[in-house]
Amino acid sequence: MAKYLGLFVSEANEHLQRLSEGLVRLERAALAGPERAELLDDMFRHAHSVKGMAGAMGLEGIAATAHRAEDLLGVLRRGQSPAEPEAVDLLLAATDALSSMVEQASAGASPEADAALADRLARAVAAAKEGLPLGAGRPAAPPPAAEAEAPALPAPGGLRSFTVQVSVSAGCPVPAVRGFLVLKKLNGLGAVARSTPSVEDLRAGRIPSRRLEVVLDSAETPQALERALSQISDLESVTIRALEEAPPPPAPSREPAAQAEASRTVRVRAELLDYFLDTVGELILAAARLREVGRSLPEPHRQAHEEGVDRLQGIVKDLHGKVMSVRMTPIATLVERLPRVARDLARKMGKQVEVVVTGAEIEIDRAILDELSDPLVHVLRNAVDHGLEPPHLRQLAGKPAAGRITVAARRERDRVILEVSDDGKGMDPARIRAAAVARGVIGEEEALSLPDREALQLACLPGVSTSDVVTDVSGRGVGLDAVKRVVESVGGALEIDSSPAVGTRFTLRLPLTVAVQSALLVRVGDEVLGLPIAKVHGAAEVELARLERSQGGPLLGYGGGHVPVHDLGRLLGLPAGPPGPRRSVVVAEAEGGRVGLAVDALIGQEEAVLKPLGQPLSLVPGLSAVTVLGNGRPVFILDVSRLLAA
Amino acid sequence: MTKRVLVVDDAIFMRNMIKDIFSGGGFEVVGEAANGLEAVEKWKELKPDLTTMDIVMPFKSGIEATRDIIKHDAKAVIVMCSALGQESLVMEAIEAGASDFIVKPFKSEDVLSVVKKVLGEA
Repeated sequence: MAKYLGLFVSEANEHLQRLSEGLVRLERAALAGPERAELLDDMFRHAHSVKGMAGAMGLEGIAATAHRAEDLLGVLRRGQSPAEPEAVDLLLAATDALSSMVEQASAGASPEADAALADRLARAVAAAKEGLPLGAGRPAAPPPAAEAEAPALPAPGGLRSFTVQVSVSAGCPVPAVRGFLVLKKLNGLGAVARSTPSVEDLRAGRIPSRRLEVVLDSAETPQALERALSQISDLESVTIRALEEAPPPPAPSREPAAQAEASRTVRVRAELLDYFLDTVGELILAAARLREVGRSLPEPHRQAHEEGVDRLQGIVKDLHGKVMSVRMTPIATLVERLPRVARDLARKMGKQVEVVVTGAEIEIDRAILDELSDPLVHVLRNAVDHGLEPPHLRQLAGKPAAGRITVAARRERDRVILEVSDDGKGMDPARIRAAAVARGVIGEEEALSLPDREALQLACLPGVSTSDVVTDVSGRGVGLDAVKRVVESVGGALEIDSSPAVGTRFTLRLPLTVAVQSALLVRVGDEVLGLPIAKVHGAAEVELARLERSQGGPLLGYGGGHVPVHDLGRLLGLPAGPPGPRRSVVVAEAEGGRVGLAVDALIGQEEAVLKPLGQPLSLVPGLSAVTVLGNGRPVFILDVSRLLAA
Repeated sequence: MTKRVLVVDDAIFMRNMIKDIFSGGGFEVVGEAANGLEAVEKWKELKPDLTTMDIVMPFKSGIEATRDIIKHDAKAVIVMCSALGQESLVMEAIEAGASDFIVKPFKSEDVLSVVKKVLGEA
């Protein structure tokens, strides 16, 4: 988990920042109608994201506080609160508290929720629901001072957290089964947040030292819990303790250690990275220009100038490489935390899940990666929540009790394919059609005429959810439509495949990068040109004179057919070099079908940072972009279709 | 008030033994069943305060019978009679809603202690 901490801190801070900006906006500009709804939706999502991320990191205090804030935002969103200014005050206080907790977490602490704040939030929600001013809600719990015990940590939903320690007596022949019974009993009285040993260990008969420790969120009193456990035999001792309140958060004086930890990863805006790339490109061009100028210098100065330019070009090249590598990030940072998210969620729902991740080493542009975090977690939650059946139903269906979710990434030419598949109950096209019709997003006739596979895609439309019960897991309006929107905003596509009883697969087809493309570099005469690798099918070395000819042009036998071969130099109007006997032919995809492009030599493949062409070059047909090679040489990237059409 | 017990086991000698334990402990054994099907029927008819349930039985296992009974009344008190080596079955029964379990071979005072606790009498 520690390796995700930096990422968590930076992402959580960003969400909290946006949340507080939104709150301020809400208060300042008395918004109404769709604008207000959109802003509240946004803020709700930020709180929701913080809750989800904190939950995955095991930071219960942050998750609980964010949950409360989300509740209150949910009430505001539904327009139930008559007292918005107080709610904004309270939510700002919650946002500040969350920021401070995130800072503590960045120093390695696991901050507890502020009980008083959580109580105020809970009261505000209750009051808003009853239509009362926020201050008037009944206290959710008696004042802490009146309680003999330490004040309990408020857990989500007005519950309290308890630690229950049980030791099974030595006379019991099957202590793990006893432990299991205790766990089951506690589960009936609240929600088991953690159990040591885990339920899996107990099932396997493991209960070290015959001791079981459970963290339970429950609305029951400690006495009621004790009474319930007293009905179980063979327990030597039972200790129930309400979790103590966290020490007050440290004064805002920042600890140097915390600062150092947070500064190891820095979140950089993708626009800034784009700017770096552009600037490095300009630097390369400028250095190349300097070298040219230097050639005309008189001899005594020329040597020194050359050395300076060499050094400059070396540095620029190095910088170029670094900027490139900063952009490309293995998706491991994104997918490695998914198994934990799924597991925790499954446990909460009494399901079992095994998550297999493949292709974590696949790299993708950071800008895309950043956008994918929320959507991917959502798809995963969707799979656990709606896809996987409970263990007993799975066994009835002849499946293993534990569901299997596969997160697989692979490169396909210039795309990264990310698939999340489960072996659950599948999606029912009929229900999705009905939901879409009920929501008015599609007419009944039109819905019925859709093939099943297309009907499944309706699930991505806003408001279409097939879940009968909106759970706090994947319901509450942060839906598949949001996933689809994000995927499409980075230039990707989302597809759903599903078959009943077999499972569901979400496929995210993503561009490798927003600004980097693999190019095949070729030489024609003295010119170096680039062809987008995505358009390249293959290459062959041939003697042009020996090729078959048709309508005056040579034909290359390729892939069982023939492709017409064009001389790339001639297409571009370049001066013809001395015709060698053997030429290389690149087979590329053009609009009218495959074509062969005869070139003098294949140089190799390179990751090219594409820069748009400025005028007048943008007017030249057949050129799509320019890139600058590490050696400083500018190279035009060709648009094959337009080149042939010219 | 004397608690009413239903004893479910496919072996007559086990039923007799358990009946003796309960009678000697101040309980009233109101019925017995030799398999899971019979157990569910008898339970519906008698609505006992407590049922002792063998796990492996013909026609319908004790686990399935437990599940069926709990469907009728989530508060039904069922104590599983298990043997060593049946741990995973017992856990399954607990998931199905069994309140507790005893492990064969058992002593009468152990049985009485477990059921009294389960009924909240201890």
